[in-house]
Amino acid sequence: MLDALPFREVVLVDFEFIASAGERPEPVCLVARALRAGRTVRLWRDEFGPEPPYPIGADTLFVAYYASAELGCHLSLGWPMPARILDLFAEFRDRTNGRETPAGSSLLGALTYFGLDGLGASEKEEMRSLVTRGGSWSDAERAAVLDYCESDVDALGRLLTAMTPRLDLPRALVRGRYMAAAAAMEHHGVPVDVDTLGRLRKRWTSIQDALIADIDLDFGVYDGRTFKADRFQGYLARAGIPWERTETGRLSLSDDTFRQAAKAYPAVSALRELRSALADLRLNDLAVGQDGRNRTILSAFRSRSGRNQPSNTKFIFGPSVWLRGLIKPPPGHGVGYCDWAQQEFGIAAALSGDLAMQSAYQSGDPYLAFAMQAGAVPAHATKATHGPTRELFKACVLGVSYGMEAPRMALRIGQSPFVARSLLQAHRETYRRFWRWSDACVDCAMLRGSLHTVFGWHVHVGENVNPRSLRNFPMQANGAEMLRLACCLATERGVEICAPVHDALLITAPLDRLETDVAAMRNCMAEVSRIVLSGFELGTDAHVIRYPDRYMDARGQVMWDRVIRLIADRQPALSEKSA
Amino acid sequence: MEIKATQQVELDPFDLASLRLDQSFIETAGVRKLLTTVPVGKPNSQDFVRVHPGAEYRETLAAIEWKEDREFYVVVPDVAKELPGECVFVTLFTAVNRQGVARLWPVKLPGPDGRIIEWHRSAAEAAERAMRGWIRIKANHSLRAYEIFEAVATVAEPEWPDKTFQELLRIGFRDRLISSLDHPLIAKLRGA
Repeated sequence: MLDALPFREVVLVDFEFIASAGERPEPVCLVARALRAGRTVRLWRDEFGPEPPYPIGADTLFVAYYASAELGCHLSLGWPMPARILDLFAEFRDRTNGRETPAGSSLLGALTYFGLDGLGASEKEEMRSLVTRGGSWSDAERAAVLDYCESDVDALGRLLTAMTPRLDLPRALVRGRYMAAAAAMEHHGVPVDVDTLGRLRKRWTSIQDALIADIDLDFGVYDGRTFKADRFQGYLARAGIPWERTETGRLSLSDDTFRQAAKAYPAVSALRELRSALADLRLNDLAVGQDGRNRTILSAFRSRSGRNQPSNTKFIFGPSVWLRGLIKPPPGHGVGYCDWAQQEFGIAAALSGDLAMQSAYQSGDPYLAFAMQAGAVPAHATKATHGPTRELFKACVLGVSYGMEAPRMALRIGQSPFVARSLLQAHRETYRRFWRWSDACVDCAMLRGSLHTVFGWHVHVGENVNPRSLRNFPMQANGAEMLRLACCLATERGVEICAPVHDALLITAPLDRLETDVAAMRNCMAEVSRIVLSGFELGTDAHVIRYPDRYMDARGQVMWDRVIRLIADRQPALSEKSA
Repeated sequence: MEIKATQQVELDPFDLASLRLDQSFIETAGVRKLLTTVPVGKPNSQDFVRVHPGAEYRETLAAIEWKEDREFYVVVPDVAKELPGECVFVTLFTAVNRQGVARLWPVKLPGPDGRIIEWHRSAAEAAERAMRGWIRIKANHSLRAYEIFEAVATVAEPEWPDKTFQELLRIGFRDRLISSLDHPLIAKLRGA
């Protein structure tokens, strides 16, 4: 079966390594098996050389399971990247995306899926503990760890045999190429202001009551640390804010509801940040290494769309947006936050072939253009002259991308269901080709059992199919393709990407190179948009921050300012006490 | 596990153009919408409509309007001859609304006495105007005629059904074609 793989050599690779929170992986041992040569290499950490003990050229296929871990070890060791990478994790996710898997998506899970023998999970845990324990290992422990590592290579070989017949190898290599970029991003990490983080960690518990009291001044919804729904209902009535309810008629208090409401009523944003911080914020889990970089596994290909899905608590770009104020370039450096302008709208316009939509995108302000095309504003309208109408049409465009229907949109825009229905109807009438294409996407998925992106990332129609999710898949998943390719191009061209953030990228560079690198990043983003969208180019925006300034997400500014002020207020009192 | 070396084929993850998969689902979905219902009647007062300007998309026919159900029945000419006084002549126009729903819009012609009724005249005028722009009609009982409202904003052109007028007629009057005097409606008209 494997002799069908068109490579001079096929190398199965597995590292065991220590992965302390926020730190780069520290390789402990390596087992690599060259299948054609029939040779297995077992190396302990003190035996690693300046080059990998296997070929890495374009005539060799490097095979791993969740390859960014192995490739991260390459980077830690200063080894070059392999030219052709096959990640069986990515391929397993592609093959099962949208379907139930009996035992998850780990190597053991994939083996179980194919009915293959795997190492027992309990034994695996014991061996991992032995590896991560660090320090020194006895000869017997070294042999056990190497045996364990080799057993994973054996398993990898069995999995490769099982998966090879249905591998879309050319596109699998594109996914493998991204794992090298993911490893580079995990290696770089996001620069964090560790002093402020230290103060935050120290004072977070003690400032919570003051923070609640401070923010609640505008709302009056807390009783001590308890959020009172009846008081919140009173606040909503006073402020005239419509609110989504659950099926039982209660106010929906989900973070998603708060997030959506904050878009129409920004005043709610501070309350959302506070609730999220009190409920979910675990500052000690934020993974920051000794070098002041936030690093965590990006969990590439974990989400349905194929996007990365890093841990919310370990990753600085988690849901508490105010915490992003901790991002600060080190002295002599800057960071650039580059994102595609209205990426989903642009993808929908290009892939559906809807000329009206393409024209709206290319106008630079698709929301206002949509309002013009629908006849809601005159041709000379601007954001300044017709701001509120533009906001309504913007809400409609964003809502459509999530498959939002009139009642929910009405809540979001704070208008009657009639207005929401009219907006949705205007979208259907203005962008007919898009709607035909969108309907056809869902038809295709339901008829054939799957949908795919331009580079072959699939979603399969499982038992609990959600048509709204299928409808949104081409935009989300092709957006993910675009992001992955941009990461590949930029890292291969020497841009230091700190992290991917949904449809954006954070890069860092010394100040004298910052503008050049930001431009290079934006060029890569434009280039890959043309590749994914068959020549249609998406615009990009960039926000540049130079030391000593810090990055800030506008949505979190109020919360950040209050937290920092409260910490500063407490500083003298504590100093006096300690004195 | 030992495997043999095979002939190498250049697999280049950097040659993205050659790896791109088509996303034109409209052409590949293999699904078409079936038109199985064509309403017959005047457009409702909130619906903006366009009327197909092609002469092949309208026809003047004999019909009976069954007032009880406000439904039109088409009567074949031979039968219509036998029913003087019961049949009216209508022009059936093909119309679509902004949602792309096609309907057959019957507009009555003057009766044998030639008397022009404003309801019918204003409806005919509306249908003619709808060949050039989006209009909606609303009955004004004080005026005893339809008021016509024309969309002045720029609105996208209508999407016409991919059916011939004959096919639309067949769908719209599937259960309402009177082709013999034995039709139950005729019996009812004759007091049976």
